[in-house]
Amino acid sequence: MDVTEHAKPPRALFLPFRMGHQFGVPFHQQLQTEIVVACLNLLGKTSDTWIMERYDKTWADARREGKQFDR
Amino acid sequence: MATSESDQSKQRRPGLWEIVNERYPGSMIHNDSFVPMASLPKPLNECRLGFVSTSGVQLKGSMPFDVVHPIGDYTFRRIPSSTDTRELEIHQIKYPTAGANKDINVVYPIERLRELKSNGIVGSLTKNFYSFIGYNIDPQHLADSLASNLADAFEEEQADIVLAAPA
Repeated sequence: MDVTEHAKPPRALFLPFRMGHQFGVPFHQQLQTEIVVACLNLLGKTSDTWIMERYDKTWADARREGKQFDR
Repeated sequence: MATSESDQSKQRRPGLWEIVNERYPGSMIHNDSFVPMASLPKPLNECRLGFVSTSGVQLKGSMPFDVVHPIGDYTFRRIPSSTDTRELEIHQIKYPTAGANKDINVVYPIERLRELKSNGIVGSLTKNFYSFIGYNIDPQHLADSLASNLADAFEEEQADIVLAAPA
């Protein structure tokens, strides 16, 4: 998050997930889609500066949900 | 490259950037100004979506990224947005690939993006998606070459919107 604040992209979604897992956990297609859609939803928002929102699920949430899909 | 007091107050690890810049001069991107924010040019379901990632994902058989060069690799790879995930591999050693090795969509959600197009959430996808590696420690060179070339590529592909994802 502090890197994003440093670079100030116009619109950013911060995910408190493990590196290399920005779109969630393996085979959890619903979560992966939700994250992409959450990013796209930022397009409807504007600001005089920049926008960063925090995704509301934690890495623990994602891992817990992902257990049922693990192969 | 100095960090302002206002930035200091936001940083989760105050002083980190000064330490990084001291050890690797000029290596940290720091925007003093904001990028002008564009409005969505048309409804999302009419937009052409592009995607770029720092994951180092590439087509099997294409030139591997140079993951050991001391200042990084400023090239990118084109990946047709229709590519089967079995044709993709990862050349990047600086992030955990445990999840991506099982399901590449956790760093490169190419199948999810195709579904969004099929479901009419977005209008279309660019013919190609893009990938590069995140280890590039000369931000000016990155802006002048890699970022500029990627912007040209998306312009050629007539992308209305682009999703950029770190890895």
